Amino acid sequence: VNLGLNEEQHATREIFANLFAKEVPADRVRRAEPLGHDVDLWRLVVSTGVLGVAVAESSGGGGGGLLELALIAEEAGRRLAPVPIAEPAATTRLLAAIEADELLIHALDGSTIVSLAPRQTPLAMQLLPDGAVADIVLAVESGRVVAVTRPPNIRLIPNMGSLPLARWNDVDAVNGEVLASGPVALRHFHRALDEVRVLRAAALVGLAHEAIEIGARYAKERRAFGVPIGTYQGVAHPLADAVVAADGAQLLVWKACWALDAEDPQGPALASMALLFAGRTALQAAQHSLHLHGGYGFMAEYDIQLYYRRAKAWLTVFTDPGREIHVLADRRFGPGRLSRTEMLDLSS
Amino acid sequence: MDFAEPEDWKRIRHEAEKFTAQYVTDAMIRDELESGDGVSRTLMKAMGERGWIAPTWPVEEGGAGLDPFQAVVVADTIRQAGGPTIGPGTTMLSANAVRALGSTELKAEILPGVASGDTLICLGYTEPEGGSDIFACRTKATRDGDEWVINGQKMFTTFAHLADYCFLLTRSDPDSYGPSGITMFLVPMDTAGISIQAVRTMGYERTNIVFYNDVRVGDAHRVGDVHEGLRVMRVALEAEQNIAPASRTAQLFRTACSWAEQTLGPEGLRMIDDDVVRERLARLAIDAEVAQLLGLRAAFLEQIGGKPGPHAALFGPESYVAWSSEMVDMVGPHAMVGWNDPETAEGGIFEWHYRSAVASTIYGGSSEVLRSLIAEQRLGLPRSRPRVDQPST
Repeated sequence: VNLGLNEEQHATREIFANLFAKEVPADRVRRAEPLGHDVDLWRLVVSTGVLGVAVAESSGGGGGGLLELALIAEEAGRRLAPVPIAEPAATTRLLAAIEADELLIHALDGSTIVSLAPRQTPLAMQLLPDGAVADIVLAVESGRVVAVTRPPNIRLIPNMGSLPLARWNDVDAVNGEVLASGPVALRHFHRALDEVRVLRAAALVGLAHEAIEIGARYAKERRAFGVPIGTYQGVAHPLADAVVAADGAQLLVWKACWALDAEDPQGPALASMALLFAGRTALQAAQHSLHLHGGYGFMAEYDIQLYYRRAKAWLTVFTDPGREIHVLADRRFGPGRLSRTEMLDLSS
Repeated sequence: MDFAEPEDWKRIRHEAEKFTAQYVTDAMIRDELESGDGVSRTLMKAMGERGWIAPTWPVEEGGAGLDPFQAVVVADTIRQAGGPTIGPGTTMLSANAVRALGSTELKAEILPGVASGDTLICLGYTEPEGGSDIFACRTKATRDGDEWVINGQKMFTTFAHLADYCFLLTRSDPDSYGPSGITMFLVPMDTAGISIQAVRTMGYERTNIVFYNDVRVGDAHRVGDVHEGLRVMRVALEAEQNIAPASRTAQLFRTACSWAEQTLGPEGLRMIDDDVVRERLARLAIDAEVAQLLGLRAAFLEQIGGKPGPHAALFGPESYVAWSSEMVDMVGPHAMVGWNDPETAEGGIFEWHYRSAVASTIYGGSSEVLRSLIAEQRLGLPRSRPRVDQPST
């Protein structure tokens, strides 16, 4: 057992912690609203090789694992970096796995933003997580992994998480380009969804930790009844609970990364656990941190509201946690009688 | 990063399972449920022979030379089998403080017997008006030549009626208050002037109130320097807060799964196929995993010389209390029946967990104290417990 990062992983974390801290002050997050996408930041992130960090060197990547990606996603999450990372990074690994080499080259150099559709509903009905910025979205259609190209004239949909949501009207996955088919290809797609779970969880861990920091900073400065409000246990103790939960969520993310990369059978269940627990933790942390600001926390100019809105949106854009708990049950205890299992039907 | 269970853990778990099959008999489990002592001398002796009382001490000191992870595997396996482990576990808190800060003579007197499973040490911290504020100590120690005279009263001294020594917190400087002016002793429990009153708990345990009336203790039984008990207590308290026995929440999860797999519902459906049960168990599975990971991290940081903080000691018991309650709801009236009635579910374990869990958020440091420590140490928030008491009179 080793719960420590190795030297390279430490370096990766530090580099991206510094990069996002320097490049993404809160006003840059605000300027990217409501689209939730900063083109210059995206170019910078792509130039650092983030999308290929966890792609094999033989496929043109950096040869790292899912953990390296999770470390980066956590640091991006901490600063609410307005660039899509979870879906595009999981997608490059998917493209490498199904040997869609040509598309992979364009995805890695950032000239084509490739994302994926997480939900089972027909593509044209989904509010796609990266729909406003993606050029191509991967989806499963009739047992095949297909690449669907963005239609012209899509409408951006402003939303509470300031996510680049859009609906691709009039597209039909049936007309998508078939990249791969068969059970192995579908397994790779499911693996990609699990990696999105883990990367979204990692981003939520970063969000939670920073929400706690913001709250703690304010609680040390703001005085009420003659003392800093952080003196009061009603203020301090929920922050302490959030610290413990955020550390726990990070451990779940790390274990899920290890399990998925080691092909350990617990991998998918751990991915669901990480997503659910990190989501709950981020929400509680942001909620309490906003609350302890009093009325100020409700003001648009305070940063905590940026965290509070995204704490909800980053999970729910992917799935309903009330449904995900049943996905976890199926993974942990085998399919149930009323199994809702996966968001995509493996048997189709 | 590697979360795989290493071969040596499996080997040690296997050894510990063989051990429990031989020593943790039905009679021993029943004795423990009836007496609530938390101690079996037979079990301690057998553990001592294997170096498992002080598993992380080197073999030449009577330990087994295990690392903290391996030690947790041993303790958890014995506890999971129902063997009483409170006695040896508690003994080790003070034994480690003696080993770190005791005099050479005291170490020679105490430690070999601890390691061999012959010596049992109870804890005398809490007082009637103390509780979480353990340094609100009024039990007095007054020097008299080569001896000290002790007068006072301690609460919740579990297994005092069986112990060989009590690790006793006293106020040696009558003009002091709070954490200064404290001196620690190892008081032999057969000394004249000690009287013990039994206290029964809701959780099938027996604990005690202990009265000290003109109890005379040799200076050789002092642990650490005079008035410097705080240093000794720091070692003992940190060991307690950082200790990460495998989580009871995880144990509860395993028991609940086994119940759900073997129990049929009204429609002949196994409970594990019932969505209401599945959702609960899935939520419990997450908390159990987090509790275990935080414990694992505590052991890992301990091994590399880091300070884990009381995360596991907070999350483990808090989640345990919440789930001990929800599991009674899920299992229903049979879970409300105790171990000694045939109508009970799973040998009474759900009833036992519900009765026992609430104490776990108190005895290793109350959750409120642990939260304050995290808020202060990790987030730099101001101290929330201003000391406003006066010198004891």
